[in-house]
Parts: sequence; structure tokens; C-alpha cells
Amino acid sequence: MNNATIQALNNVDHKDLKVITHPGAAYGDAVMLSLVVLPEFRHAQSVYPLVFHKNPQTGEFYPVALFGFSDRENLFLHGDQWAAGYVPLYQQRGPFLIGQNNGQQTVHINVDHPRISKDEGEPLFLELGGHAPLLEKVINLLDTLHHGISMNKAFIEALLKHELIESFSLDVSLNNGQKHQLLGFYTINEDKLNGLDGAALGELSAAGHLEPIYMMLASQAQFSNLLAMKNRQAQA
Amino acid sequence: MRSMQSQIVIVGGGSAGWLTAGVLASEFKHTPDINITLIESSDVPTIGVGEGTWPSMRATLERIGLSENALIQHCNATFKQGSLFRQWRNNSPQDRYHHPFTAPQASNQFDLAPHWLPFAEQVPFAFAMSTQPAMIEAGRGPKNISTPQYAFVQNYGYHLDAGKFVSLLKQHCVTQLGVRHIVDNVTDVVGDKDDVIQQVMTEKNGAVCGELFIDCSGFAALLIEKHYGIKLHKQDHVLFNDNALAVQVPYAADDTPIASATLSTAQTAGWIWDIGLQTRRGVGYVYSSAHSSSDEAMQTLDRYLGGLPADSRVREIPIVPGYREVFWHHNCVAVGLSAGFIEPLEASALVLIELAASFIAEQLPFDSHSMKTVSQRYNQTFTYRWQRIIEFLKLHYVLSSRDDSDYWRDNRAASSQPESLQALLALWQTQCPSRYDFPMAEEMFPAASYQYIYYGMGGQSHLPPKASIARYAERAMQEFSQVRQQSANLARQLPSHRELIEKIAAYGLQKI
Repeated sequence: MNNATIQALNNVDHKDLKVITHPGAAYGDAVMLSLVVLPEFRHAQSVYPLVFHKNPQTGEFYPVALFGFSDRENLFLHGDQWAAGYVPLYQQRGPFLIGQNNGQQTVHINVDHPRISKDEGEPLFLELGGHAPLLEKVINLLDTLHHGISMNKAFIEALLKHELIESFSLDVSLNNGQKHQLLGFYTINEDKLNGLDGAALGELSAAGHLEPIYMMLASQAQFSNLLAMKNRQAQA
Repeated sequence: MRSMQSQIVIVGGGSAGWLTAGVLASEFKHTPDINITLIESSDVPTIGVGEGTWPSMRATLERIGLSENALIQHCNATFKQGSLFRQWRNNSPQDRYHHPFTAPQASNQFDLAPHWLPFAEQVPFAFAMSTQPAMIEAGRGPKNISTPQYAFVQNYGYHLDAGKFVSLLKQHCVTQLGVRHIVDNVTDVVGDKDDVIQQVMTEKNGAVCGELFIDCSGFAALLIEKHYGIKLHKQDHVLFNDNALAVQVPYAADDTPIASATLSTAQTAGWIWDIGLQTRRGVGYVYSSAHSSSDEAMQTLDRYLGGLPADSRVREIPIVPGYREVFWHHNCVAVGLSAGFIEPLEASALVLIELAASFIAEQLPFDSHSMKTVSQRYNQTFTYRWQRIIEFLKLHYVLSSRDDSDYWRDNRAASSQPESLQALLALWQTQCPSRYDFPMAEEMFPAASYQYIYYGMGGQSHLPPKASIARYAERAMQEFSQVRQQSANLARQLPSHRELIEKIAAYGLQKI
């Protein structure tokens, strides 16, 4: 990403900008995963398998929702429809991000993002410079994401401390005989979890980390849904 | 059942003392009756010559519970993927070959070397056998930031600041592993010369008793030599280098690439090591004083560096090449420099300490009868290991066609070569170095290492047609093309060595 295209959002330079809000491969939705943050686990786990992945730039763990089994495969994306009741915030944020501006955290925009348009989509600013509904929504979303990311960090630290993360690989066999292997992902180590003593469980619970642990485990049931979608796609 | 109570006393700090303390203390972490005490004289400032380890150090660190992140963050450490030898063969501008840490392709299934022989003129041995030399030349690190600690994409050891490494080990041993640390001078050793050592006397702390004493006192060899009078088997008739000049060299810029192999460049009377740490290089000329004056040696070092840095301090390190006639005598074991020293051509110093410490930890005897059995076994094993190291180092010299000095001619004299080496060289005229040549369960160097050096130095083998080789002919061609393909992929996937080090410093490696 070219840094020159990321600008602090303001109602002068960006007053005419519009944002295309519907899903589409051309708009950055052809991805196999997205970061998810703790505050949205409850929604996300009802649709997607939630697992851990490593940031290739830092090696640090972060929780993700899986949309497919291979790079750029999003089984939920059908043309301009995202066939799920919930899309992770990180994926929803599109061209927006939080940046530093004069020591303050403010909304920034990547003006080269494919969702940015002059004539199509929803406006960011009202006629007289006030925030349009879309921008209000974006501000809330970024705020939740921002807090969620620091909550993620504490969550991961706690899991590492109790050695609750383990790697897994998933061998997927499709009805047509094709095989896929899912590598480089991590999940909750259930043996370690079941072996935790009361003090450790109390600590995790008090920090609000027990609930997301179990939501991640429950989300594993979504793998069969993902596989069914993959089989349908392979048949089509 | 016998009493398992045991006091183990280590005399001397340094890498030998603290590594041994770490391995022993972690082995007996849950054995309350076995206590480890280390006595060292008050801190002598170390200059911190860059030092190389073998891949074995990863397992040693894991064993004693030191994280790889701590090593990178506190010891100026970098990754070592092998050695690159320059000017050893014929001193031409193209004269270079690799001894990588990664074993040859498919080596756990069959020996690829015989199939390379017909292509010897087209592709250097190490480049045909392994992807690692190409990665070293491309300046790539041996893993990604997402690779867990101790795990690798390409096998590796470390380059590190030995002084800082000792400080880290010391702190870990004392605070995490319960090693008792006494800072004091040993003034006397109490015990009959024909029997066990009962205690050592110290200046301020009085007598320190023990059932086992480990002599890590370096060249001073306080227990093994001063007390027991055990001599060195000198090896200067085989390996001539007996002096080293070492210096620290800053990088030209903060982003100068860091080499991930020890560069070893042959000179007229020895060779120069060049080790890339995070913030500087450690460079040293190890040479034969019979073939070069110290002035000439200084000039050689100066020429290599294109001029010594202005404020550099050159440290002189004398070497007496050789090893003890007996390493474990009664209840005393010599580990580290007190056991022997040899030029650092294949970085054997630290690995010998690791091997000694593991042996002692795993075989620790609890009565005098077992002590005798274990010590005999230890002496046999380590005499064999030292002989193999000496033979292997000599192999680097004997195949050279350099004719620019008596040093190289003398190194080729049959009288300077161990008979065992001469026998192997005769054998390798008609067969490749193989596991039949190195049959022990725990050899110092695998056959692959001998292949890397023998063929790297231009050694030849003229094999008769054999069915056992021919049946892998097709497989071999596939493996060679695999190496080429994987090299291209790895060059894209692996970060630069410096980038990897900077990321580990910033984020750390994960445990899983």
C-alpha cells in the first residue's frame, strides 16, 4: 500500500467522495479470511470457523474468521452478495482506517481503494460538511475495531501464558475426490484447557477470556458448513 | 538403594562452566538431593570475540530453558547456516565452497553424492546437494518470523558474543535453575593425587566439598593438570596454527547485510574468520607462528580488512593445539579449554562443551564403582571425538593445491597427516565418503560433512559401476531438479537475515 494514498479524512479534500458499499470480488472481498475482534465473536462464531493465524510480518497470533480453504477463496461471496448474516468488521471497514493526525487518532482513508468513487455509492459528507450516515457508521466501526484489537492482544497473551494455543492441520476431501489441506492455522488446545486448575480458570474468566475460548471451540462446527459450500461450488 | 545425594562443584565460569551448570541443573531440576555449585573468580572483563555454534545449540538452549528470543535480544546473536571457505583450494578469484548445516537432499533415503560426480565441472557440490548455499549467498535468513523458536526452514546454529552469552547463562542458571554461585578464588585442591578430590579451598568461602568436580578453569586447568598432572596430547605436528589475532569491526552502515555463514578465508600462513553479529563483525587471523611473524600476521589482517579500523584493539590469543591424555580422572572431569583446544575452523569449542555436559548429566555416577565405568566410557568417547575433529580439520588443508608458501606445502606433507586420514583419502579415490567410514552412533561429523569438504576442496572419486548406485539414477535427477526449484521458492519466501533479526528483536518468535 502506498502511504501517499492514505490521507486524514476531512470534509474539504474528500467532500465529493463516495463509497461503494455492496460486496464484490473487485472491492477486496475475494479473501479467504478476515481478522475478527473479541466484541464480535458472538456474531462471527454463528457463521464462520474462528481460528488463529500468524501475522506474516510479525509472527504474532491473531484470531480470524475463515471464508474458504485456499488463498483468495471466499465461499460466501456470490457476485454482489455476501451470503451470511454477518460480515466481520475488519472486512466491512473497506477503505477506512485509524491513523495519527497531530497526535490524535482520527479516521483516515485510502483514496486509491477500489470502493472509492466519484459518482457511485454513498456519500461521506452532507451538503454543508456534516457527517453522512455512512461516516457515522464507519466511525463507530473503527472505534469498536480499535478497542477490539487491544482486547485481542490481551486475549492472545493470556492464551500463550497458559499454553492454550496449538497448531492444527485440516485435510479436506471433497465429494469429487479433490483434496485440500489447510495449513498454518492454530486453535485452542482442549487438553490443556481441560487440565487448567481453578485459579487459572478464574483468572481467564475474570478477564473475560473464557467466553471467547468456548465460542472459538463452538465455531469449529462451522467447518462442516464451509465444506458443504465448497462441495456445492465444486459441483456447479 | 544407594543415597542419591550429590554435590557437583564446577570450578570456573566462562562458557564451559555456565553451559555445563545449565545442562546439569536443568537435568536435576526435580532432584533436590543433587546440588550444583559454581565457583568463579571475580569478574574478568571479556572482550567478546564473535563465536559460532553448531545447530546442536538450539537443543541445548531448549533443554536449559533459555528462549531463542533472549539469545537474539541479549547476545548480539545472529543465525549461522554453515561455513563459506574462500581461497582454500587454489587461491584463484573464484575459489570458494560451502559447508552448509543442512544435510544433502534425500540423505535419509539414499546417497546423492555418487550421482553428482559426473557433473562436478558444472555445479559445485554443495549447490547441487542443498538449497542452503544459494540462500546464504542471497543473504536470506534460515526461517520466517512466523516459524516457531528453535524450529527452522534451513538448519542453523548461531553467531554470538561469547561474553554476553556467558552473562545470560549465568543469570539464567542462578535465578531460574538454582545454581549456587560463589565468587572467589580457588587456593588449594584437597585430596590425594592418586585418589578423589575431597574439597577445594577458597580464599573467602573456605572449603567447598563435592562428590564430582568439573574443571572449567580454562587454560589454567587447575584440577586436571595442576592437581593431577595430566598432560596434553599436543597436535601441533598436525594442525600448525598456534596464534590468533582478533578484532571487532563495525559495519559500514546500520543496514549492511549480515552474513549468515562463518566466512573463512585462507591466507599464506593460516586463515581469517569473519563472523557477522548484529552490530559488528568479529574478525580474526589464526596462523602458524612457525610460518609467519606477528608483524606479518598483523599486515595480513590489515590487508583483509582494507585497513584496520582507527580505534581498534587487536587481541592476541595463543593456541596450544591438543587435548588431554585423560579427561575424566577419579572424580574430576575437564570440560572446555581445560580439556583441550584446537583452531576454531569448524567451531568445535562450544559443541564439545555441550556434548560433555550432556554426557555428564545423563551418565552421572553415584558410587565409586560406577564412577570408574562411566569415566572409562567418557575418556574413550571423547578421545575418539577429538581424534575425529583433528582428522576432519586436517582434511581442509591436505587437498589444497596452494603453493604460495611453505605453510601449505608443509600441510600436505604425509608426516603431518594422521594415518587414519591417509587411509580415508586412499579409500575415497574409488568411493564416496559414507556412513561406513563413520560408524559410531554419535559421530562428531556425519559423512555428509566430509563430502562437503572433500568435494568442495576438489577431491575426486572414480567409482566403478555399481547396481546399488545405478538404481537411484533417475531419482537422483529428480532430487537435483527439486533443489533448483526449492531454491527459487525459498528465495521468495525467506526474509533477509538482517530483517529477520530486526523482527525477532521487535516481536520475538512464538513458542509454537
